[in-house]
Amino acid sequence: MTSFDTYLPAILEQAEREAQRDGASTFEVHHLLLAISAVGEGTTTTALESAGLNYQAIQEMFQREFEHSLSTAGVSLASADLPKPTPGPGRPKVGTSVKLALERSLAAVTRKKDLHPAHLLLGVVQAPVGTVPRALALAGISQAELLAGIEQVLADQK
Amino acid sequence: MSGAENVSSADPGDQLASVAALRRLADQLEDAAVEQAMRAGWSWPRVAEALGVTRQAVHKKHAKRLIAAGVELRRREND
Repeated sequence: MTSFDTYLPAILEQAEREAQRDGASTFEVHHLLLAISAVGEGTTTTALESAGLNYQAIQEMFQREFEHSLSTAGVSLASADLPKPTPGPGRPKVGTSVKLALERSLAAVTRKKDLHPAHLLLGVVQAPVGTVPRALALAGISQAELLAGIEQVLADQK
Repeated sequence: MSGAENVSSADPGDQLASVAALRRLADQLEDAAVEQAMRAGWSWPRVAEALGVTRQAVHKKHAKRLIAAGVELRRREND
């Protein structure tokens, strides 16, 4: 067992909790990033903090992206005011954006045993489109610089 | 809005993101509205007709969650 073998299940469980809190039936890549921040493994925290990102900042940037994307279609979140639904009892399913992030993480190494927690963050931040790059851009955070920071912590591990 | 031409951006990334966000919002609104209706004593067939879906579809999607939430579920209006 490598540290990644225990890290990944912990992150996926936390991402499920993040999705349940959202009332979502699937967990997506933004839940994964929140989970990575919440679990707080050292190297990933270093890379995120170098871009000014902690759990609360990540939560805020995704909320902002959600509201911004709705506003593109002329919808405001404030106009859709209903009480919060009770979350479902079942476990949220893995969303497509999570599968793609995991594929990118795996593609970053030649041997599976070389996987490090920061590779998971790399796979999340490498998303070419979708909520992650959009939320980063809206928050004024350079995706390229964040990726460079992650590459740096990975290089420091060698 | 009355059509896609009203989406206030010509960027496909913005347009696709707005679709994803609207789906997410619609799911949240459906969960909240179905729960509200069932708490107010609506039956499955009435909720399903109001949503424009089959009774089976609405039951499959919401029953477990509402049972766990302690909502009394009605099969018919006069139950």
